[in-house]
Amino acid sequence: MQTSNVSSGNKMLLRWSLREIWQGQLWPVMAALTLIVACVVALSALAIRVDAVLTSQGRAMIAADLVFNSATATPSLLSDAQNLGLTSSSQTRFQTMAFSDNNMQLVTVKSVESSYPLRGELILMGETEKVSHSVQASELWIDEQLLSLLAVNIGDKLAIGDAELTISGKIIAQPEVTFNPFRTMPSVLIHESDLPKTGAIQVGSRVQYRTFFKGEKSALTQLQQNYQLQASQRWISEDNNGRSADLISKSKQYLSLTIVMVILMASVTLILTCQHYARSRIDTVAMLKSMGASKGWLRRWLLVQVGLMFTAGLLLGSLVGILLELLLRLPLQHILPEQLPGYGYLPFVFATLVALLIGLPALGIPLIRLLDTSAIVVLQAQQPTPSKKGWWLNILPIAAFIFFYGNNSLVWMVLSGLIVLFFVLANSSYALLFLLSRYKWGAAMSLALSRIKRSQKITIMQLAALSGSLLLVTLIWLLRSDLLGDWQQTLPAETANVFALNIAPAQQQAYLQELDKNNITRSPAYAIIRGRLTAINGGKIKDTVAPEKQDINVLHREINFTWAKQLPDYNEVLEGAWTDKGGVSVEQSVAKDLQIGIGDSLDFTVNNQTVVATVNSIRAVNWQSMKPNFYFIFTPDVIAQLPATWLVSFRIDDSQTPLLNELGRNYPTVSLLDFRIIGEKIQQLLAQVVWSLSVLAGLGVVSGILLIFTLLRLSLTQRQREITLYRTLGASRRRISQTLWCEYGVMAVVAGFVAAIGAESIEFSLMKWGLKLTPSVHIEMWFIVPLLALLLVFASLMSAIKQLLQPLQ
Amino acid sequence: MSLSIIKTVSVCKSVSSNEAQLSILNDISFEIFARERVAIIGTSGAGKSTLMGLLAGLDSPSSGEIELLGQPLSQLDDEQRAKIRSESIGFVFQNFLLIPSLTALENVTLPAILRGEGEDIVKAQQLLHSVGLSGRETHLPAQLSGGEQQRVALARAFMTQPKILFADEPTGNLDEKTAQNIIELLFEMNREYGTTLVLITHDSNLAERCDRILTIHAGELQEL
Ligand SMILES: Nc1ncnc2c1ncn2[C@@H]1O[C@H](COP(=O)(O)OP(=O)(O)O)[C@@H](O)[C@H]1O
Ligand SMILES: [Mg+2]
Repeated sequence: MQTSNVSSGNKMLLRWSLREIWQGQLWPVMAALTLIVACVVALSALAIRVDAVLTSQGRAMIAADLVFNSATATPSLLSDAQNLGLTSSSQTRFQTMAFSDNNMQLVTVKSVESSYPLRGELILMGETEKVSHSVQASELWIDEQLLSLLAVNIGDKLAIGDAELTISGKIIAQPEVTFNPFRTMPSVLIHESDLPKTGAIQVGSRVQYRTFFKGEKSALTQLQQNYQLQASQRWISEDNNGRSADLISKSKQYLSLTIVMVILMASVTLILTCQHYARSRIDTVAMLKSMGASKGWLRRWLLVQVGLMFTAGLLLGSLVGILLELLLRLPLQHILPEQLPGYGYLPFVFATLVALLIGLPALGIPLIRLLDTSAIVVLQAQQPTPSKKGWWLNILPIAAFIFFYGNNSLVWMVLSGLIVLFFVLANSSYALLFLLSRYKWGAAMSLALSRIKRSQKITIMQLAALSGSLLLVTLIWLLRSDLLGDWQQTLPAETANVFALNIAPAQQQAYLQELDKNNITRSPAYAIIRGRLTAINGGKIKDTVAPEKQDINVLHREINFTWAKQLPDYNEVLEGAWTDKGGVSVEQSVAKDLQIGIGDSLDFTVNNQTVVATVNSIRAVNWQSMKPNFYFIFTPDVIAQLPATWLVSFRIDDSQTPLLNELGRNYPTVSLLDFRIIGEKIQQLLAQVVWSLSVLAGLGVVSGILLIFTLLRLSLTQRQREITLYRTLGASRRRISQTLWCEYGVMAVVAGFVAAIGAESIEFSLMKWGLKLTPSVHIEMWFIVPLLALLLVFASLMSAIKQLLQPLQ
Repeated sequence: MSLSIIKTVSVCKSVSSNEAQLSILNDISFEIFARERVAIIGTSGAGKSTLMGLLAGLDSPSSGEIELLGQPLSQLDDEQRAKIRSESIGFVFQNFLLIPSLTALENVTLPAILRGEGEDIVKAQQLLHSVGLSGRETHLPAQLSGGEQQRVALARAFMTQPKILFADEPTGNLDEKTAQNIIELLFEMNREYGTTLVLITHDSNLAERCDRILTIHAGELQEL
């Protein structure tokens, strides 16, 4: 009997709670919760996929999941890798002369196993256009340009060091590309079994050993941990490898930032909706208490409702999230790989965790305080008594946040910026409102302003929430635009993709004319004079520079010098200024490594001659920019009289390929470095990243806008009673909507303006100190954001006004 | 000598607002016995609701003692007072205070559920029938008129057969004719269930129908 009573009571509770949700009392809370879950599911699912795509792109570029680079052979690593269940493949790399019957050329030899590459694509084309994807014993594959440089054909013999091999064909595409034309030498691929024959591996020869690994992430990490790195050894992974790595790591940072920002916005909305919900329950709780409900019973009553709501929010949110991810992926379809990496259950776990962590304090605290409602409320409305109960629930999300993002400095930058701005901005926007109210306005405006002023605390809360959310939306968008802007600047679509080296002085004019005649965009021609740096301020490098410092590219081989009347405009001068005579400009990393400063006197050896120049400036050089770049640029008087060859870079479209071939035929001694395939690869990657980021940013902005809309609707419904009263007292529809318009319009414009300033300053610091890019100012945002806020106010007012204007029954 | 249901000894209530101490009730002592019908009258703001809140244990006096059903309230905690209310007290409020998302029938069964007794649908239906609302069981409060809502509230108040019924201006929000009906019903059910009635009103005609009349004026209580 007893149990059946209790169960019938429970059934009624369940029914009641369902009806509460259905009838809309819990609707705003549920909407906020659903939105959080949906956003987190969609964003993290997409992020997981984009991340996987970016990672696989990056790995294709380094030919493996992880690469070990060393100056000495390290067999111990291989056995460890095998124990960890990793696949591995070795490569030996060195530079040597390749001799044909007619010519010789310095080449990079990559001696690889047949398993190479573990990731990415190797396309080799032999005689009769037969394509293969791996190197077999006694094969020799060469870069296409070598065919002309060495004046050989497929099937001819070529001497690589001491070994004589038959050319199997040309390399169409290979991973491990670099974008610095001066560090790239034409390459040839041979099989590891032929390596001893070349005789290249001798004591003292400069050889690079690379070991490629593929396998589970945990095993890769373990491998890195087990091995103690020595000097001249390093790990290469997709996120520390040059230009593409930079793209990928910045995109990943952006992904996590966007998710954090969306979660932040959603939390604000959830907190406000929960407070509203708790406030609307005060009467009911008091009534139940007056009828003798115990705290235990009330707790159960609330738990059932909240539990149901959470479950429903989680289910609905997950569903919406899945659909959203699908929708988001539509525009990405043609750039995402056919076989999409699945996202598994992680997004759902993550969303549930986020919802719980935020929901617990957001709902828990007001509900705990709600339980303390005095029953006397049924007879007399009471002043709410301030309470600190339940504050400890806030520790949960904060601890979780620190756990997840503890070492993500970008997230912390945004967060601390937000906290500071939150207070500063909310108060300054309030001050702005106060100032506004001191001027004479129309009736509706005055009423609105005085209302805003009267409910100080609520107004500040609302302003803070509104400007905070707008700020985040703006930030998501600005960050995307600036990142893309930076990438497009360093990798513009019209970058040079062919370098012509070795142009003889006698050919130079004719060669440039040939290019100009065909309307080909080209760089100025640069003289190339090879030489070495030998002394700094009279002190010989060999004696004065520490041995470990001597192991840099600039010192251990001849490098390219050039002279110019002016420095290239794409090199930023960091220190000093260009001079007319006797000067040299030094690239910053060299200057730093060798501690060279302005005014230092440097000795160089060129063609067994010594030239001396004084350092006049230090330059920043972006080696990835596919533009002619030099460590040292001299004033003309120093080296212009020395024998030189010339270099020019230019851009070739696919339709101009015949022209390129013709140039190759007409000027057989000029080496052409063709970067079209590499350039295309990078452009493709860029396109993917751009799309993914834009879609994510779009989703971030849309969810932010939805949340702001919810927030405004909520604030409007809280005014229901007051407005109904005005309406009952006979206020015209026009008067009421005008007042509301003024009140919310003013608030929107102020919050929008403040948000634009806030976003601008956070964006500035993020760009400058976080991502280390050049910050810029976005004046247009100062207008767009307030306008957006106004639009949102318009939309929410339009959607709510009919209900608000209903007179009292 | 009949049983003492409510007994107050030197009850004072003051509240602090804006730093100043405001005395609402001053040295109030009286006793109410079983089955008595007591009216408390006074102008608006006199402190009637405050007094009723104290008597029902919804709030605590600043000083003095209140005994409810023989138990000194000052010695009970919130939970124990709630237990007394759920077992022995019914309320009717000026603004009805029905749960908007529950049907008329469910609103009536609510007190039983609060007592952990489960839904006694048959009894709730009987009560709704006796307040003249047969056939309206599944209607929500929003679908009922003010008078009908107050009838539901009456049915709800008698659901647990309380020993005391507190009614705070039960007709304050109703028109005269409806008010008359509700009052008739209230007295009738009160008689039927043998409940002690504490009725707050500012209507002296209505007060006349009770056994005793207490007036509150300037925080002081007088028996007429
Ligand atoms: N918590 C409170 N704070 C301040 N004043 C109160 C409080 N509760 C009641 N009062 C004041 O006490 C007086 C009596 O209130 P009440 O008992 O509701 O009067 P009524 O006789 O109309 O029911 C009123 O002036 C009211 O403003
Ligand atoms: Mg009153």
